[in-house]
Order: sequence, then structure tokens, then C-alpha cells
Amino acid sequence: MSKKIGDVILDLQNISLRFGGVKALTDISFDVREHEVRAIIGPNGAGKSSMLNVINGVYHPQEGRIFWHGEERRKMEPHMAARQSIARTFQNIALFKGMSVLDNIMTGRITKMKSSFVEHALWFGRARREELEHRQKVEEVIDFLEIQHIRKTPVGRLPYGLQKRVELARALAAEPAMLLLDEPMAGMNVEEKQDMCRFILDVNDQFGTTIVLIEHDMGVVMDISDRVVVLDYGKKIGDGVPDEVRSSPEVIKAYLGAGH
Amino acid sequence: MAFFLETLIGGLMAGMLYSLVALGFVLIYKASGVFNFAQGAMVLFAALAMARFSEWIGAALGGDSLILANILAFLAAGVVMFIVAWVIERLVLRNLVNQEGATLLMATLGITYVLEGIGQTLFGSEIYKIDVGMPKDPVMMLESVFEGGILINKEDFYAALIAAVLVVLLTIFFQKTSTGRALRAVADDHQAALSIGIPLNRIWVIVWCVAGVVALVAGIIWGSKLGVQFSLATVAMRALPVVILGGLTSVPGAIIGGLIIGVGEKLSEVYIGPMVGGGIEIWFAYMLALVFLLFRPQGLFGEKIIDRV
Amino acid sequence: MIYRENGQFKTSYGADQQIFPIAQDRYLVLAIIAFAFIGVPFLADEYYFRAILIPFLILSLAALGVNLLVGYCGQITLGAGAFMAIGAYAAYNFLIRVPHMPLLGALILGGLSAAGMGILFGIPSLRVRGLYLAVATLAAQFFADWAFLRIKWFTNDSSSGSVSVSNLQVFGFPVESPVEKYLFCLALLVVFGLLAKNLTRASIGRQWMAIRDMDVAAEVIGIRPMWAKLSAFAVSSFFVGVAGALWGFVHLGSWEPAAFSVDRSFQLLFMVIIGGMGSIVGSFFGAAFIVILPIFLSQILPALGGLVGVHVSTTVASHMELIIFGALIVFFLIVEPHGLARLWVTAKEKLRLWPFPH
Repeated sequence: MSKKIGDVILDLQNISLRFGGVKALTDISFDVREHEVRAIIGPNGAGKSSMLNVINGVYHPQEGRIFWHGEERRKMEPHMAARQSIARTFQNIALFKGMSVLDNIMTGRITKMKSSFVEHALWFGRARREELEHRQKVEEVIDFLEIQHIRKTPVGRLPYGLQKRVELARALAAEPAMLLLDEPMAGMNVEEKQDMCRFILDVNDQFGTTIVLIEHDMGVVMDISDRVVVLDYGKKIGDGVPDEVRSSPEVIKAYLGAGH
Repeated sequence: MAFFLETLIGGLMAGMLYSLVALGFVLIYKASGVFNFAQGAMVLFAALAMARFSEWIGAALGGDSLILANILAFLAAGVVMFIVAWVIERLVLRNLVNQEGATLLMATLGITYVLEGIGQTLFGSEIYKIDVGMPKDPVMMLESVFEGGILINKEDFYAALIAAVLVVLLTIFFQKTSTGRALRAVADDHQAALSIGIPLNRIWVIVWCVAGVVALVAGIIWGSKLGVQFSLATVAMRALPVVILGGLTSVPGAIIGGLIIGVGEKLSEVYIGPMVGGGIEIWFAYMLALVFLLFRPQGLFGEKIIDRV
Repeated sequence: MIYRENGQFKTSYGADQQIFPIAQDRYLVLAIIAFAFIGVPFLADEYYFRAILIPFLILSLAALGVNLLVGYCGQITLGAGAFMAIGAYAAYNFLIRVPHMPLLGALILGGLSAAGMGILFGIPSLRVRGLYLAVATLAAQFFADWAFLRIKWFTNDSSSGSVSVSNLQVFGFPVESPVEKYLFCLALLVVFGLLAKNLTRASIGRQWMAIRDMDVAAEVIGIRPMWAKLSAFAVSSFFVGVAGALWGFVHLGSWEPAAFSVDRSFQLLFMVIIGGMGSIVGSFFGAAFIVILPIFLSQILPALGGLVGVHVSTTVASHMELIIFGALIVFFLIVEPHGLARLWVTAKEKLRLWPFPH
């Protein structure tokens, strides 16, 4: 269990996010270190998904600053986040239902493809070579996640657990430096959860990918994360290693719902 | 100045005619999220029915009780439109409930063709007259203010009046009656409406019937002004920009949007037209709609379209 | 039993990604293409070429273009007719104003002009979708209607408002007789079909489909929506523009703006929907269906009427055509919203097992 956790690669300072009159996030600050597994937990509606959306560039916070690899980020669009090597999965699966598993994962390689569509139309030289190279890489991800048998199946036909795995595959295909996982184990049974845990740990272990994950299953969180951030009603109420957070009185109060 | 006012007022009244058709769009879209491209064909069908019924009933009654013939014809045409609306809702829309927008649009286009074909088979394909006793002569107004006065078409004036009355009736219907409330609930959220016991299918039939009646009124007014002919069906295309401007979900929007488009078309044709060769009214309304689409897609009064991640 | 892919294992990714991975498909398509080039010219007569085959080929090309935009990228368009017009008039102007302009050059330039305008009128797709986008494309349609009618420069100041071309030739071969026109259009369709297929199985095709299926997620994984949507408009309009130029040059010979009216736009959209959205072969099915249906009805209806002793006049026949056409469209949309292409795929699936039931 000796893993080299590196320096801070993502630093969020005083992030506040509002939708009209609703305050989704209030003055949140925390950081994420390279190669670690950082969990974000909290009761429902605490703002966890909004937090991921802020990291990802889908939402733009009204206040606060974000530093990625030490450089401050101005207004970022989601596709720019992807090009900066941040990948993510969604709470409600966001796969492309009209395409097969293979094609869905291939779309994950989009930021690495260089040839233009005119070359695609003519299908020779660089376009063809690139396509085959990327196919090679995608097959490695397919092997890693053990989904070879369904690669040609349209994703709409797959059971929920496998769809979630395909979404993870698509995110991995981008070879991201940081992976944002939004409730990757929601709706899974015990076996599926174990598999998913294994995959996440393997990703972190073998590729060194930094993982930020939102999860409700406390057992999973305490087991696999290096550090935990706790949100409640858009505010941060805990930040530290799992044991610290688990015994913090504020966190216990938030989860047991005393006096809200 | 007088000429400008004439053009303006003419535009306003033409606009009211567009509003009548746009109302049909808004009604159906509000209740079911379906954009009914066939509204134009419904207007034509209704107008054809009205024209021929008044002719046949008038002949049967002996030819001198015009008002009675017209009233009976109106009722008969209304019944016909109810049947048409019911058939469309039952046979087509109910089977397409969860399809995407393009499919629904194409379905209503298909319905357009069917209505045009059936209408012409049943009622004939020549040009017919509708005479509901609306005065057709123009009148000079405001002679004291402007030299020579402003020429106003009495027929347009009455048409605008009728349209305004219809809008008021519809607004009262939506706001004050329980059916109207149910319609608004359905428009807001189908599932929620179902869960409180609103009979979705019946509501949709009602909405289509109301749209059918609106089409009938529009058909009578347009037909009285222009004569009932095939080109009436293309009036739907002229009314599309109106709902973009006004907002697809807003009844007052259909009126305001219609007025703006009516005025815009007339003014642009008169003042800009000669500079670029004329005939620009076809696309002027659409260009206006395009501008709105780029900067305010929900129109003046529509609900903002939100996408959730 | 005939259609089994048993034993056809691929040993390389390249082989897996070819256009027709199943050998039977490959042979079938090659056979059809060979027959089209070699067999049909001997079997069909002039009427078939003029009334059915040539319109089918050209409209297939247009439907292919529309399908790329509507079926693959999910952007609705009601203005395809306008882009056919732009292609036709641009090609015409290049042909007559630039000395020694070859026919193919004019066609390509016509397509490129349409592509350029396609990008311009595709800009609203960055803001709106669905019905609202449809209205924006209608704006393009009506504007084009007006422009080609009123701006005299486009029609070379022709007094009648219509333009015409003649004496077409490609690399020295004349394109005058029906057979020559047919072969020319067929060759172009095969080339464009290949280009389309390559595009859809490559990265750009996946980008289009991702935008269609869930554009927010597409953006999150790094697809730039502007690039994907506008490229779809550009490529689609290029195809449609070339088809428009062919329609005017080869099929009509001389034309007016009314040839590319909003009815044409609807017609193309119907082809795509009935044929199958997001399917190359579906575009061909749809075009064939829409081209053949009116001709079929105009033959069958009087015959049926004769059977029951009713005389079917031409007006009644044309009304019936409207009704049947509309009813068929609605029927298809209810029964098989994925179009004829889906029926074809289902048939092939059944064929894999035939004669076994399962």
C-alpha cells in the first residue's frame, strides 16, 4: 500500500455557485493531490455533482478561483477541460445510445485525433493509420475492463451495470490525468460494486490516474479513498483522511440529521 | 404620414389574421408539446367545409335566409372539425406519444397532405366564396386629423375584432375554467398531471377540438377575405415566425407576435421592398424570426428553454 | 443458412473496420453496382431513365446529404431545397462566366458554394435545436427562393427567369443521351456514397452521432460542438449542392427557382425518414420509395378504379395520391420510425437463421 502521492494538481479556493436564488455551493476550498483517490461525500442535495461540474467546466462559479497544475483557470468550457486531460462519468449514464460500445469508447479518443474530416472521407494514409492506432488503444481499455464480449452491442441494450462500465471505459480511453467519477456504483449489486472498486483501484494503481469520486457507500469510501471532503447544504464540513472524517462530530450530525 | 399610418394599420390587421392561425399552434403545443404543422391544412379544410355547407344548406333552404344558412353551416363545419380533430388525435398522435420532434413534425406534415387530399375530394378544388355578411367596403377615418383621411378596410377591422374576442375567450378559458386549468397542468408536466388524475387522452382530444374551432374561425375570416382556395394551406408557413416571436407557449404572445409580423411585413414591403426588387415579405418575417432565434429563442413571452446536465 | 457469417473471423482491426465486413454483403453490393453499370443500360428504355432512374440517382445523392445532417448529426433541416438551388445556380454561373470551366469543376464549385452557405445558415444550430432550428432553415429556404427569383445576376439577367445548360461533356465524353446521363449520375453517386460511408465510420462520423445522441456529454469528452455541427452542415450542403447542380444540369436541362422550393425540402426529409435516419443505404431506399410511389399510384389507381367500374379522373387521382402519400408517411412513422433500413436489417437477421425459426 505504498503509493507515492504527489503534489497538489487541483486547487479550489472559495468557490461559490448560485442558480438564481439557490446557493448550490458556498465558499468551498479544498485541493487534490496527484495520484490520490479523493472522495466527495455528503447527504443528498449537498452540491457534490455541482462541485464536479465546476471542476469540469460545465458550471462557472460566480466566486472563487481554480488552479490546475499551478495555473489559474479562467472561464473554461467542458471540451477544454477534456483537452486538459480531465475526464468524467455521470450520475445518470451519459452514453451515446445510438452507437455501439466500441464506437462509444472510440469517441473518448477524440482529443487525440489529428486528421481532418477530408482525410476521413478519403480514408487513406494518416486517417487510416490513426484510426487503427486508436482502435488498438481502445482495445486495451476494453481488455482492462473485461467487456470484450459486448463491444459491438448497441449500448442501449446493455444492462445498467455494464453501461456504467462502458462509461468508465470511455473516460479511460482519453488517458486522463484526472478522472471525475459521479456515483460510479449507484444502482449496482454487491458483486458489481466489488468489480467496479477493483477497476477504480487498478486504474489508480497502474496508470497513476488521480481520482475524484462521489460516492454514497461509506464502506467503499472508507476503504479506497486516501482523503475525503464532506459537503452539506453546499458548505464544506469535513476534510481529511477517512478516519478523521468518520469520527468528526459535524459529519456525524449532518448524516444523522440532528437539528436541521 | 397618413400613408404610413394606413400601412401600419393595414399591417396590424393582417397581423391579427396571422395570430388566429398562430393561436392554433400555441394551443396544441402548450398541451402536448407537438407542433402541428397541419394547422394550415385544418384552416383550409374548415374553410372548405364552411363554404360548401353554406352553399348547400343555403340552396336547400331556398336561398333567402342567408343568416340561418350561415349559422347552420358554421355548426356543421364545427362538428366536422371536431371529428377531424378527434381522428387525428386518436389515430396518429396517440401512437406517436414518445417519438422525437422530427418524427412528430413529419407526421403532422403527412396529416397535412391527407387533409388537403380529402378536403378537395369531399368539397371540390375550385375557388369558393364565404359570405358571412361582413362588410367589405373600405371607409375613410380620421378625416379631421389627416388631410384626406386614412383608408381602413372594414372587413379587416371586423376580422381583427373577432380575433380579439376569440383571444379573450381563450384566455378566460385557460385561466378560469377547470378544463383550462387541466390543460395548463398537462402542458407543464404530463406525469404529474396523470398522477393527480387528469385524463390525458381526453385533454388532448379537447385541445385538438379547440384548435379545430380556432382553425374554423381563421378559415372563415381568411376565406371571406381571400376566397377559399388551395393556397390557404400555406398560411401555416406564414404564421410560423409569429410563434417564434411570440413564444410557442404563450397565447398573448401569438397575438403580439402576429401584430409585429403583420406590421413588419407591410412596412418592409412598402419601404424596403422597392430598393431590392420587391417581394421580400416572404422572407422578412423569417429573417425577423431568425434574429430572435439567435438572441432570444423563447420569443417575447415564451418560457425559457433549459437543458439540464 | 446462406447468410451466415460463420467462419468469417477477422485477424486485424483493419479487416474489422472495412465497409462490408460480411462477405455476402460485399458480393451482393458489388454485384448490384456491376449490374447497374453494365446490365441496366441494356435493359431499360428511355422512359425509365428519364422518369425513374436518373431522378432516383440524383435525389439519392441529395437524400444522402440530408441524412448526414439530420440522421447522423441530429440537426433538423427544412431548407435542403435552398441548398440544391444554391448548388445549381452557383454551378451555372461558374460554368458560363469562367471560360473553359469543365463540367465536373462547375459541379464541385457549386457544391462548395452550397457548403459555404450551409455553414452560414448552420450557425443557428449552435444556439437552438428542434423546431426552432427548423424555422431557421426555413428562413434560408425562403431567402433563396426570393434571391434566385429577383436578383438578376444569378440568372444572368435572363428575361424569363429560367436558365438552361446544354452540350454537357466530361473528359470528352458527351453527357447528352439518357444512358450517358444515367451512367454519369451513377458514377458520381457511387463516389459520393463511398465518401459518405468513410465519413460515417471515421472520427467525424462519431462526433456527429455523439452530438446527436447527447450533446452535453459530447462536449464533456472533448468534442467541440461548433466544429462538429458546422462540419455536418458543410458536408451535407456540399452533397446537396452537387445534387442540385445535377438536377438542374442533367435532369431538367433548364430550370427556375420553383424547382427547388420548400416542397423539395419536405420531399428530401420524407426520403430520409422513410428510408431510415442515420443509414446510408436507407437514403437510397427512401429516394427509391418517394420517386416510384407517385408513378406507381398513377398507374395503379385507374386500374383499380376500372376493376370496380369507377372512372378515376386525373384530378381525383392526384387527390388520392396526396391522401395515400400522406397516409403512408404517417403509417411509416407509427409502425417503423427507423424506416426501411431497419426493415432491411431485420430481414437480414431473419435470413441468417433461415430456414430455421430461431
